[in-house]
Amino acid sequence: MAIRRIAILFCFTWFAFLCVPVTPQFWQELFALNWSEPGYSNLFRLAHYTPRIYPGPDTFLNWAAVAVIAFVIGIAWVLIGREKTGQAERLYYGVRALARYRLAVAIFAYGFLMYHPLLAPYPSLSNLNTAYGDFTRWKLFSLSLGIVPGYQSFLGLVQIICGLLLLYRKTASIGAFIIAIYLGNVFMSNLAYEGGETVYSLYLIILSLFVLSYDARRLIDLLILQRPAKPNTYHPEFSSQWLRVGRVVLKSSFVLVFVLFYALSTREAFAADRYQFPAATGLSGVQGLYNVIEFERNGTAVPYDSVWTGRWRDVVFEKWPTVSIRSSRNVAIDSNNTEHFESDDRLRTYELEGSAGRHYYSYIVDPSKHILTLSNKNPHYKGETLQFVYSQPDESTLVLSGNDFNNDNLKVVLKLRTKKYLIEEAKRTGRRGVIRL
Amino acid sequence: MSSLVTTANDLVLNQQIKERLVATPLAWYAYEKILFRIAVIFFICICIPNSVAWFEHVIAIDWTSLHYRDLYDIARFGSGINIFGNTIFGSNLLGYANWVTTLLISIAVGLAWSWIVRARGTERSEYQVLHYWLRAVVRYRAGIGIIGFGFTKLLPVQMPYPSLGLLNTDFGDFTAQKIYWLSIGIVPWYQIFAGIVEVLAGSLLLFRKTTAIGAVLLFGALGDIVYVNFAYDGGVHVYSSYFVLLSAFLLVPEIPRLYNLLIRERVTQPFRFYPVLPQWLKITRVGLKSGVLLLFLVVFFYLQLVNFLYDPYKQPSVAGVLQLRGNYAVTEFRLNNNLLPANAQDTLRWQEVTFENWSTLTFRVNRPTPLDLSNGGGDPQRDVNRTFEVSCVAGGQRVFHYEADEKEQTLYLEDKYKSIPDRRNRPAGVGGDGGSEKNLQSTAARNKPAVRTNAVLWKPEEWISPAARERIGNEVDKIDAKAQTTRRRREFAQAISLENRNRMILQYSTADNGNIVVLTGLNENKDSIKVVLNRVNRNYALSASTLNAGKY
Repeated sequence: MAIRRIAILFCFTWFAFLCVPVTPQFWQELFALNWSEPGYSNLFRLAHYTPRIYPGPDTFLNWAAVAVIAFVIGIAWVLIGREKTGQAERLYYGVRALARYRLAVAIFAYGFLMYHPLLAPYPSLSNLNTAYGDFTRWKLFSLSLGIVPGYQSFLGLVQIICGLLLLYRKTASIGAFIIAIYLGNVFMSNLAYEGGETVYSLYLIILSLFVLSYDARRLIDLLILQRPAKPNTYHPEFSSQWLRVGRVVLKSSFVLVFVLFYALSTREAFAADRYQFPAATGLSGVQGLYNVIEFERNGTAVPYDSVWTGRWRDVVFEKWPTVSIRSSRNVAIDSNNTEHFESDDRLRTYELEGSAGRHYYSYIVDPSKHILTLSNKNPHYKGETLQFVYSQPDESTLVLSGNDFNNDNLKVVLKLRTKKYLIEEAKRTGRRGVIRL
Repeated sequence: MSSLVTTANDLVLNQQIKERLVATPLAWYAYEKILFRIAVIFFICICIPNSVAWFEHVIAIDWTSLHYRDLYDIARFGSGINIFGNTIFGSNLLGYANWVTTLLISIAVGLAWSWIVRARGTERSEYQVLHYWLRAVVRYRAGIGIIGFGFTKLLPVQMPYPSLGLLNTDFGDFTAQKIYWLSIGIVPWYQIFAGIVEVLAGSLLLFRKTTAIGAVLLFGALGDIVYVNFAYDGGVHVYSSYFVLLSAFLLVPEIPRLYNLLIRERVTQPFRFYPVLPQWLKITRVGLKSGVLLLFLVVFFYLQLVNFLYDPYKQPSVAGVLQLRGNYAVTEFRLNNNLLPANAQDTLRWQEVTFENWSTLTFRVNRPTPLDLSNGGGDPQRDVNRTFEVSCVAGGQRVFHYEADEKEQTLYLEDKYKSIPDRRNRPAGVGGDGGSEKNLQSTAARNKPAVRTNAVLWKPEEWISPAARERIGNEVDKIDAKAQTTRRRREFAQAISLENRNRMILQYSTADNGNIVVLTGLNENKDSIKVVLNRVNRNYALSASTLNAGKY
C-alpha cells in the first residue's frame, strides 16, 4: 500500500506548505513592514499570504508547484521508511491544527474589516452622482454593500464567530462548515463580479474543506446515511511540561494579536481614519454638488449639452481634498479590485476605482493666493494637472478660472445644488410612504 | 486513513453502537411531549393557506395552458391563523404578528391537549409517528415553497439586467432595495447560482435522507436573505424568515446529536424513524411524490424557461420599434413652438432620452414627481403595468409605455407611473411583496379618483382610433405563441379600471441613418412639443450581460 501511504503523506505535506509561510517573499515582506502604519493594515497584508512560486498575480499554478514539491517529499518519506505507527493520526491532527489557525487568521482579517464597516464604505458624494452604468461590476458590488453598514457588520460577525469556532478542536468542523458555505458564496461573487480574490477565496475554501474532512465521515454517517456515528478518539498527548505551557502561550498570543489587537486596531481606524477615503479635510465651506451654469473656454461660452467632451456637466467637492468633474470625456478606468492600504491620501483611490463618468483630482490649496492645484488621481492620467484661481462671490457660488491640462483657458461658474437623494429619503420615510423627487 | 488508525478503539466503539441500537426507542420526556403538541398545532397552521384567494386561484388554473406564475402562486401562500386579523394590539410587529397570534393559540391548544390526555389517562409515551408526518408536511411545504422562489432566479428573471434608463440613472437616485435588486441583476450567472442553491435545498428536503443537509442549506441561504431584506428594506423579510423557521424546525433533532458527537465525542445514534406503511399508503406516497417532483421540478423548469425566453415577467414583453432603440441626447426641444435652450436646470425640457429594446420611452425632466416605491415585481401581464424600470427610480426619470402604429409612425404613450398601483401576488396574501399590504387596505382609496394633478384625460375618440388599433394589433397576441397562456388572456380580457395615466401622442421620423429622431405631437398636458434627438453611443463601464431574457 505504498501508493496510499504516499498519497496520505503528500496530502499532509501539501496542506502544511499551503499554510506555513515558507516563501522568502513572505519574510522579505514581513521585515519590510512599516510599523508606523496602522497595525491592522500590516496584519491584513500578512494574513493575505499564499505560497507564491511564480511572480505576478496569484494563480493556481502556484498551488501546482507546491503540490509537486509536496509529492516529492511524500515519496522520499515513504522510501526512506521513516514512518512510525500512529504517525498519520498525529500528522493529520497537526496539519489540521495548522490549517485551522491559518484559516482563522484569514477569516479574522476580513471579518473585523467588515464588522467595523471599513471594507465597503458608504458611497462618496461623487459616487452617488455617477450613473449606474458607469461603474464596473466589482465597484457596484462594493457600493451596494457600502450602503448597508449594518449588514456588512453582520457578515463580519459571522466570519468572526467562524474564526473563533476554528480555534477549538471540537468546534473547528462547525466553523469550517459554515465558513466553507460563506466562502463558496465569496468565490462565486468574485467570479461573477470580476473581483480580484478568486484564487485566494478558493484557497481558503480548500483549507476549510481540509479542516472539515477530519469529521466529514462521522457527519455524513449521522446526517445523511443515518447510521451510528463514531466520535473522534485521537487526543494529542502533550507529555512534557514545556509543550503544555508552549501550547497555551502560543494560543494566547495568537488570540492577543489576531483577535484583540486586530479588533482594536480596526475599531480605531473606523473611528479615526477609514482607509478607503483620504484622511485630510478639504477646502472648507465648499463641500457639495455643483451645477456648471457657465463654462467659457478661451473666452467662448460653451453651452450645456455641447457634444464637446471638454464641457463640464457637474462638479463635486468632497469633504476631503478631492474634486470630481463629470463630463462626456472618456475615462480609462482604474480597475484595481483588491484591498490596498495607503497612508498617502493621493494614493487612496477607492473613490475612483471601477468608475467612469467622472475624473477625480486631489487638490492642494494656496489660501493666500486663492489657488487650487488639481492633479488627476487616476494612475492612467499621471501628471495631468489643472490650476485655478477660485473665488466665492456668495455661499452657493464658486468661480474657477485658470488653465486646464491642455493649456486651454477656462472660466467656470459653479452653483451649489441642494439635491435630495432617494437612497436617503427612502431610508427616512420607508417605501410605504410617499416621496416626490 | 482508517488502516493507519489504531483499531482497538474501533472495537470498543462498535460494541457501543450495538448496545445503543437495542436500546431505542425511548419514551419521551413530559416537556418534550408538551412542546411537541404545541409544535404540531403551530406548524400545521403555518403550512396551510389561510386565504380564500389562494384556493380560488388553484381551482381556476387551466392545466392545459400553464403559466409559470400558476405554479409560483401554488407554492407561495399566506399562512397562519389570521381570523383575528394580522395585528396584535394594533401593531403588525414588522409583519410577524401573525406568527405570534398563531403561536399563542398553539400554546393554548397544546396545553389543553396535554391536560386532557393526562386527565383521561390516555397519554402516549412518545409521538414518533406523528412527528414523522409533521416533518413530512413541513418538508414539503418548505421544499415546494423555496423551489417556487428559486426558479425565478435559476432562469434569471427575478432581478432583470438594468434597462438603458436604469443604467443612465445616478447611483444615489435609487432606493436601497433597488440597488440590491440591480446588484444581482447585473450578474445573471450569479443569480442562476443563487437559484440553483434554492432549488437544490428545496429538492433535498423532498427526500428523507437528505433532509438535514437541505435544511442546513436552506437555513443558511434564507437566513442571509432575511438580513438582506431588513438591511435593504426588501419587503420580503417575513416570507424569507418563514423558511428559516421551517428549516430550523427540521434541524431540531440534529442539534443535540451533533453536540453529542462533536463536543462530547460520544457514539451517536442518528435521528431516523420511518414508519411501516400499508400498501395503499406506499402507493399513494410514491404517486404523490412523483407528482410533486414532476410538477415542481420538470414542468416548472420548462414554464420558467418559456418565461425567460419570451416573456420575462419584470420586463415588458412586446418588442420596441426597431429603428428607435438606443440612447439619445436632446439637441432641440420646443414647447408650444418656443425653443427651450439646453440647460440642466430647466424644469420642462427633456434630457437623456432612451428607447428600450421593448415598448418603453424614458426621459428626464428636472422637476419633482411622485415616485413608485413598489419593488416592481408581481405578476402583471400588461406591459404598462410591468414597472421594474420605473419603480424606486428618482432623478427626474419619466417612463412611458407605448403602442406603435408603425405605418403612420405614431406612438401612443402612457405613463407607467400610477398613483395607486395594482395589487400584486394576490394568492400570497399579506406578507407577499412589499406593497401588497398597502393595496389590501386601500380598497376605499382605490375608489377615490386617483391623484394626478396635471393629468389631462384624453377623450376616447382622441386616443387610438379603430383604424389605428387594427394596424397596431392587440398586445395580448404580441408575444411568442409558446408563451401564450390562459392566464395572460384572462387578464387582458378584464376591463381596465382606475386608470388615470398621463398620455402623449407623438409622431416620429428618423434621419441620417437613424442617428437623428424627431418626435412631434402632444405631451401629457396636450401642449405641442417637438423634440430632436441625436443618437449617443454610450460605452458603459458595466459589462454587458451574456444572458439576455426576452425576445425583442
